[in-house]
Amino acid sequence: MTLLTVEGLEASYGPVRVLHGIDLTVERGEVVVLLGANGAGKTTTLRALCQLPGLSTSGRVDFDGRSLVGCRTEEVVRRGIAHVPQGRGTFPELSVEENLDAGAYLRRDRREVRQDIERWYDTFPRLADRRHQSAGTLSGGEQQMLAVARACLSRPQLLLLDEPSLGLAPLVIQHLFEIFAELNRSDGTTILVVEQNATLALSIATRAYVIESGQIVLTGPAAELHHDDGVRRAYLGF
Amino acid sequence: MNLLQTLPWAVPGVNDAFFDLSYVLQLVTTGLANGAVYALMALSVVIVYRTTGHMNFAQGEMGTIGCLLVFSISVERGVPYWISIPAAIALSMVVGAVLQRTLVQPVERRGGMGVVLVTLGLFLIINAVDAVIWGADPVTPVTPFPSEAGDRFIILDGPPQFAIRYSTIGIWITLAVVVGLLWLLLQRTRLGLGYRAVAANPESALLVGIPKDRMLMLGWALAAGIGTLAAVLFSQKTGSLDFNLMAAVILYGLAAAALGGFDSIPGAVVGGAVVGLVESLVPAFFSFIGSELSLVMALVVIVAVLLVRPQGIFGKAKVVRV
Ligand SMILES: Nc1ncnc2c1ncn2[C@@H]1O[C@H](COP(=O)(O)OP(=O)(O)OP(=O)(O)O)[C@@H](O)[C@H]1O
Ligand SMILES: [Mg+2]
Repeated sequence: MTLLTVEGLEASYGPVRVLHGIDLTVERGEVVVLLGANGAGKTTTLRALCQLPGLSTSGRVDFDGRSLVGCRTEEVVRRGIAHVPQGRGTFPELSVEENLDAGAYLRRDRREVRQDIERWYDTFPRLADRRHQSAGTLSGGEQQMLAVARACLSRPQLLLLDEPSLGLAPLVIQHLFEIFAELNRSDGTTILVVEQNATLALSIATRAYVIESGQIVLTGPAAELHHDDGVRRAYLGF
Repeated sequence: MNLLQTLPWAVPGVNDAFFDLSYVLQLVTTGLANGAVYALMALSVVIVYRTTGHMNFAQGEMGTIGCLLVFSISVERGVPYWISIPAAIALSMVVGAVLQRTLVQPVERRGGMGVVLVTLGLFLIINAVDAVIWGADPVTPVTPFPSEAGDRFIILDGPPQFAIRYSTIGIWITLAVVVGLLWLLLQRTRLGLGYRAVAANPESALLVGIPKDRMLMLGWALAAGIGTLAAVLFSQKTGSLDFNLMAAVILYGLAAAALGGFDSIPGAVVGGAVVGLVESLVPAFFSFIGSELSLVMALVVIVAVLLVRPQGIFGKAKVVRV
């Protein structure tokens, strides 16, 4: 069943048009990866899906059978989309625990939120050790863990990840991607991930899209794209 | 009790009376009483600034109109002050939120200096409206705290005497209660978490589903309520109320907020105390500085502090990690 349908999505920052008609779909339970060079419009695509202010968009965005176009970001989140922005976007002045509480802002089931937070502390013990420390003092890897845990605390149907591996050590990246795969497998969370580390992303993905100058230029099953010569040369480096 | 008088100081230009303990303590008390009002204004400034990054220059005038309303309801109509003051505070909170939503938000989206101009415009408009409705002559304000000449604790017998008015203690307690309630709201409630998240990272706040626009309205509402409270306290303190009640107080409040680093609640309180003390002590100490120069003095101190510590006394140099 299709969870997300995007058709002819255009987006501009003021007068600057960045997306020129993006078409993509994400099935329920899939992991889809979005590849593309710097400045291709990957981040903008994710931002447009969340209807973030500052970006004027047109085109069709249907999520779970209903349109997201014109919704407030708050409503998009309420409908079940969580977004880990590029550069993590934690709340630096808030403690680790408060960051996680904020992730569950829309939830009213306080007791289950507590359990979820404890579960994430088990997943990332380094966050548990630093729960009362302000998030601004965490290392880059810890911040990324926090950003992922915070996003998941809204119990999303669709998780948007924008370059989660950026600037992290290989072991941390490995750990994070295992967690994404696990989230997808056991919680059934659908994932749309933007990644520069294409090999890794393709290894957990079902399908992939390649975006170039604000347009989708290539799509296919992850395994197929992994062997596509163009993709290999542009994104895989072999 | 003229301990200080025995000191062999003879500094030219320094007021001799300054070496009297009672006199100095009286000045400190006056400074801290005004300082508490400035601290409340600074809190208003800080609460708006933390989420929106702008200053509401009309904050003082919004307080003045609230205070004039209290006067009309209580003095002219005879409604008890414990009804009129909370009512005026609640009303100004609603007005603050509505102004933010209808006037400030649309202008803010366009960026630039628009918001500064809007709040300056509000300053002038409200000031003029006050003068038109209530006239330019000072009236006797509502006094929530006992305000007869004898309503004070005499601590050192004079002359000169050192005494603390009940109303001064009332102002201090009010400030403490406001700070306590603010702390509870911001640190212990879901709403407060939302407010602080917006202050820390507005876009991420949106991405976890926090209604940012409503948090900005909340900031304006809280600030307006505190501003009205500050105006009521200040009018009791000066014993006189007119449309220019808060014109200087907002400047002292801005100064206090700047000293405190613009985004710190304890900073606003300490900043208010410092500005109040400077205002009362410096002209008394240096007889060549008239009290009409105290505003200038306050500003000089602020510039001096900001030259040394641009983030203010309490502002933290921001922790940002990439
Ligand atoms: N706030 C903005 N205002 C104006 N232009 C912007 C803004 N943000 C991005 N752009 C432009 O939009 C284009 C696409 O940017 P985007 O951030 O979506 O790229 P990206 O694919 O995520 O790149 P990267 O891999 O570097 O993160 C770029 O040309 C960029 O300059
Ligand atoms: Mg990007």
